Amino acid sequence: MSDFLGYLLTGLGIGAGYALVASGLVAIHRVTRVVNFAQGAFAVVAAMLTSSLLAAGLPHGFAELTGVLTAALAGLLVGLVAIGRPGTTPGTSLIITLGLGIFAYAIEIVIWGDQPRSFAGVPGVAVVGGARLQAHYLLILAVTVPVFLAMAAFFARTDVGKALSACASNPYAALVVGIDVRRMGLLAFALGGALGGLAGVLTTPVQQVTFDSDVTLLVNGFAAAILGGLTRPVVALGGGLLLGVAQTLIAGYGGSAYQLEVALVLMLAVMIVQASRRGAVPEPAR
Amino acid sequence: MNRWLLVAAVVVTLALPPLLPERHLGTFVLLGLAATVTAGVSMLMGYAGQVSLGQASFYAIGGYAAGLLTVHGVPTLAGLLAAPVVAAVAAVLLGAPLLRLRGHHLAFATLAMQLILLSLLGRGDWAGGAIGLQGIPTLPVGGDLGYAYLSWAVLAVVLVISRNIVASRAGRGLRAAATSEIAAAAGGVAIGRYRLTVFALSAAFAGLAGGVYAFYLGYLSPGSFPVLLSIEFVVMAVVGGLGTIAGPVVGATVIVLLVQALNTLGTQPGMPGYAPSVLSYAVYALLLVVTVLYLPRGIVPAVTDRLVKERRP
Repeated sequence: MSDFLGYLLTGLGIGAGYALVASGLVAIHRVTRVVNFAQGAFAVVAAMLTSSLLAAGLPHGFAELTGVLTAALAGLLVGLVAIGRPGTTPGTSLIITLGLGIFAYAIEIVIWGDQPRSFAGVPGVAVVGGARLQAHYLLILAVTVPVFLAMAAFFARTDVGKALSACASNPYAALVVGIDVRRMGLLAFALGGALGGLAGVLTTPVQQVTFDSDVTLLVNGFAAAILGGLTRPVVALGGGLLLGVAQTLIAGYGGSAYQLEVALVLMLAVMIVQASRRGAVPEPAR
Repeated sequence: MNRWLLVAAVVVTLALPPLLPERHLGTFVLLGLAATVTAGVSMLMGYAGQVSLGQASFYAIGGYAAGLLTVHGVPTLAGLLAAPVVAAVAAVLLGAPLLRLRGHHLAFATLAMQLILLSLLGRGDWAGGAIGLQGIPTLPVGGDLGYAYLSWAVLAVVLVISRNIVASRAGRGLRAAATSEIAAAAGGVAIGRYRLTVFALSAAFAGLAGGVYAFYLGYLSPGSFPVLLSIEFVVMAVVGGLGTIAGPVVGATVIVLLVQALNTLGTQPGMPGYAPSVLSYAVYALLLVVTVLYLPRGIVPAVTDRLVKERRP
């Protein structure tokens, strides 16, 4: 029983990381209709930068914050290239973000090399209800849950958040009432970058990061986000946590090598079911 | 004029291999194979409007099919012919559920398909596992020079097939569907069946190229078919020009030559050890982004448009 509780909490911690990547994808997709293939790269850049800053002797907290802000800046830059030129369709932007994700490889290798990196998180082992787990997983949960609450409040209560939601629901109507849709899109990219960066910074102490970890992060994040059709952050949180728990349970009770496959199969199943519900003829493009 | 250009291209291609030094002959073979796979990607993206980020999985399926069959005693020619068939059958089986998806859903689904295939190959002892499949016999074509002609002959066959498909009823139907799927479906185009056909055909192209690759190298491992390879094929198709016949060849040639040149530059003494990989990542990324933003239809349509304009004063 205590084994199970341990797996559950560890899984929730891992899943919270996926949920953050997923919410970044959702934040960008609901406003701009672009699926950002560079989402995993934000996490890698933030994690690598944080490890360098910590190695240089900067205190915890400051280093992590700098990493997240740099990822937000990276998000803004990706957004500028991907949607900055008027008339770029979401399909074209997807190909551009794919290219930028690969460009990030070149930058990351030049600055940080191609070896895995990590840094120390919360040390020690926590005991919860008789279950032992790395204390850092509790920190991941303790940060992720308030971040999601803050995001929900931001989208529902603030003017900027409402403007973002307006662009998500109908870009043309948003334009008519005087919202700068393009600027909101860039803001969404910056927000997505920060969320991706936060995921990288939080999970790196328990999961080493290399320049090409972005594929795994992206696939897990997408699998979590697709449950909510890439538009609902709360469903993405649920999807991420579910995925993390499922992977940890499967790893804990046997198939430790099949973690990514769980996400892949879940993603394929969800997408195929969603597509068959929608019917054979696609909705007209907006 | 077009006909003369074609004749010139054929003559240059036939004359080139004996003139190339040994170390560049390998590049020539791999270029022919890359262009063959890209022809399928270009048809898939240009005519059927499907982004596949998993085309290297069919390259791998073809390679492993040819490799496994011949390692177990099947004649090499039969192995080579089986490669495209196995890849196409796999594409039909996978495509039946996957092709319900569109846009970024399909992109992620094909990516997932490749990651699952790589992990199956890496775990499967029957396929040599992570170490790879060794001891694949070679085709009796007379060394590297023979492979150079074989790979470009394969490319020629594939290009002729794609040209005929594009001009066929299915090709016209798909072009109609690319403008408005609902209108085309209402007009009686069997979109689902045509899309599956193109998907299977592009997989067969990749499988055939994979078969030649297996015999040429004599060794296959999951590491030979990374996700990045699938992305490279997309870059080649987009840079050359989607939905054109010459596009895949031009795109593959431009990228392979650039990467080769930068590789030579990157391995110069005094360059850091990471230089070759960094330069090739940067080239793929920049070419892709710049092409999509500034030459959205690719090199070949841009050049032919300009030629047409000059002739009409």
